[in-house]
Amino acid sequence: MDQFIEQIVTGLSIGSILLLVALGLSIIYGSMGIINLAHGEFVMLGAYAAWVFHTYLGLGLLASLVPIFLVVAAFGWVIERYVLSLLNNRPLDTILATWGVGIMLQQAVRLMVGSELRYVQLPPALSNSMDVFGIPVSSYRVFLFVVSIALFGATWLLMNRTTVGMKLRAIIQDRSVAASFGINAKRVYALTFAYGAGLAGLAGALVSPLKSVSPDMGTGYVVDAFMVVVLGGVQSLAGTVASAFILGELSGGIAFLQNDTVAKAIVLLAIVVLIRFRPEGLFTARVRA
Amino acid sequence: MPPNVPSSSGLQRLIAQLAPLLIVCAVVFALPVLLNNDFLLNKVARYLVLGILTISLGLSWGFGGILNLGQAMSFGLGSYAMAMALKLKTVPVHTGASGLPDFMVWNNVAHLPWFWEPFRSLSFAIAAGLIVPALVAAALGWFMFRGRVTGVYVSIITLATMVVINLVIIDQQSYTGGFNGITDLAQLEIFGVAFDAYGRATYYLVAGCVLLSLLVAFAFTKSKAGLIVQAIRDHESRVRYFGYDVALYQIFVFALSAAIAGLAGMLYTVVMEFASPTFLGVQLSLSVVVWCAVGGRQSLVGAFLGAVLVAGMQGALSESAAFLETWTLVMGALFVLVVLFLPKGLAGLAQAALRWIVQRRQAPGRGVAQGVGQTEGST
Repeated sequence: MDQFIEQIVTGLSIGSILLLVALGLSIIYGSMGIINLAHGEFVMLGAYAAWVFHTYLGLGLLASLVPIFLVVAAFGWVIERYVLSLLNNRPLDTILATWGVGIMLQQAVRLMVGSELRYVQLPPALSNSMDVFGIPVSSYRVFLFVVSIALFGATWLLMNRTTVGMKLRAIIQDRSVAASFGINAKRVYALTFAYGAGLAGLAGALVSPLKSVSPDMGTGYVVDAFMVVVLGGVQSLAGTVASAFILGELSGGIAFLQNDTVAKAIVLLAIVVLIRFRPEGLFTARVRA
Repeated sequence: MPPNVPSSSGLQRLIAQLAPLLIVCAVVFALPVLLNNDFLLNKVARYLVLGILTISLGLSWGFGGILNLGQAMSFGLGSYAMAMALKLKTVPVHTGASGLPDFMVWNNVAHLPWFWEPFRSLSFAIAAGLIVPALVAAALGWFMFRGRVTGVYVSIITLATMVVINLVIIDQQSYTGGFNGITDLAQLEIFGVAFDAYGRATYYLVAGCVLLSLLVAFAFTKSKAGLIVQAIRDHESRVRYFGYDVALYQIFVFALSAAIAGLAGMLYTVVMEFASPTFLGVQLSLSVVVWCAVGGRQSLVGAFLGAVLVAGMQGALSESAAFLETWTLVMGALFVLVVLFLPKGLAGLAQAALRWIVQRRQAPGRGVAQGVGQTEGST
């Protein structure tokens, strides 16, 4: 029984990291239709920003979260403005362009700070462990779980309870009608992309104490995040949450029964089959128009 | 050409379209005369093989509109087919008792597994290198296109499938050599000709395959099926309303492209003298997309040259590590610029330049009419 609970908790922990990384991607893909292959690099930038803030400015991880969000969001804004906004109506080409941008970011980081692994310290206040259902769990993992849920809540509020969110939803439904009501679609898109990038940066900063930081750390995350978004359904934030935890539990569980490689292969295969039969994702009620 | 010219000029047009293809192949065949260095020749052969791989992607992406992010899967399967046959032919020093490959001995495998058995025959291996990728692609194509999966989802499925196969190959170390791949291979020998990786024979074998794949791909794009595939790319549902079985044509171009990639994979094993899981890795698969986009996805010769030039440049610069790093940065920027401003790649640029020159040399009135006609079809 203890082992079972331990598995559930491990799954929740994997799931919360997946959710952190996938949330930004879900916003960008769901609202703009852009397959952002540079997402992993935004995650990487966030992790490096945490390292820079810590090493050069002596800022703790928790104190630097807000500046990291702003810095990476600014990157996202620039990329949307000067690259992606030129690619209207060419969704497949956004894959290529964002991938090129990703290579550039990765390489620029490698040139500037080298490709050695970097380490970010756990916040001292969260470095002990606590009891969850009788299982000792590192406090930092509990913290990640709480933060990922909080960020989801904030994003949901932003989308559904603010003017910017309403404008974005109007543009998703019909861009030209929204524009004729005076909504500046370009500006809203740039803001959306910046927000998604900022979330990715936060995710990178938050996972940086758990994994080592390297220029190519983003590649693994972007694939996982995509699987979460595809499984959850393109325009469903709640679906993203559900699928992040389902995937977390699944990979945790299969890895326990088999090994990591088999777990990964089975999860990927399951997603391939899912795309074939339910391309709209598990959690969207929308029928094809 | 104006569209309503009599058919006698159809031949002329065909020749005009074949010309760049033949010129490029002539250069490829002539290169060993100028390049008297076996080491360099081996490198060039390697880039030519990558060129064949890129042609195969151009066929499915540029002409079929199917952005296959897992093109290296077919390449890797072909490569392993060849490596398995050559491994079984190595001298006994490099193998265990009764010709058991060395890595199987290390992994305590006592008997050659059943699926290795047929690879004792080289002709079987070569056939398998073409047919297995084609069959896998056809099955995957059937799975996707019968369900009318399109666009981005095709890319995700192909990428995920490739990653799964890659993971399985790395995981099943005792049967596939795992992470190290299959090394220490015998030389390929066909009809008494030995193909040393650094020899002329191998170069000409590769060059011949370049010509063959360009011609096969060209013939396909000019065939009726090829035209329907292009029509599907431009407007899928319209073709469906005409009564064509859209999925069937998509499956066919997908499988043909996989077979050509499999051929490239086999050649790559011969040129590199090993097979490795990186041959069906994400990195290579995405690089092929870059080469194809830079060269011109809707031009077979363009795609081929894109791969040879970009991969060749990368190889030439890899001598100095610092330079290579900067080059990757420049490459990323170049790629973004091409995607943004040159959707047809360098081939599109060359065509536009050519058209401009032709127009300049003719009377203004006639020039415009000709220019309009020539925007259709290209090699």
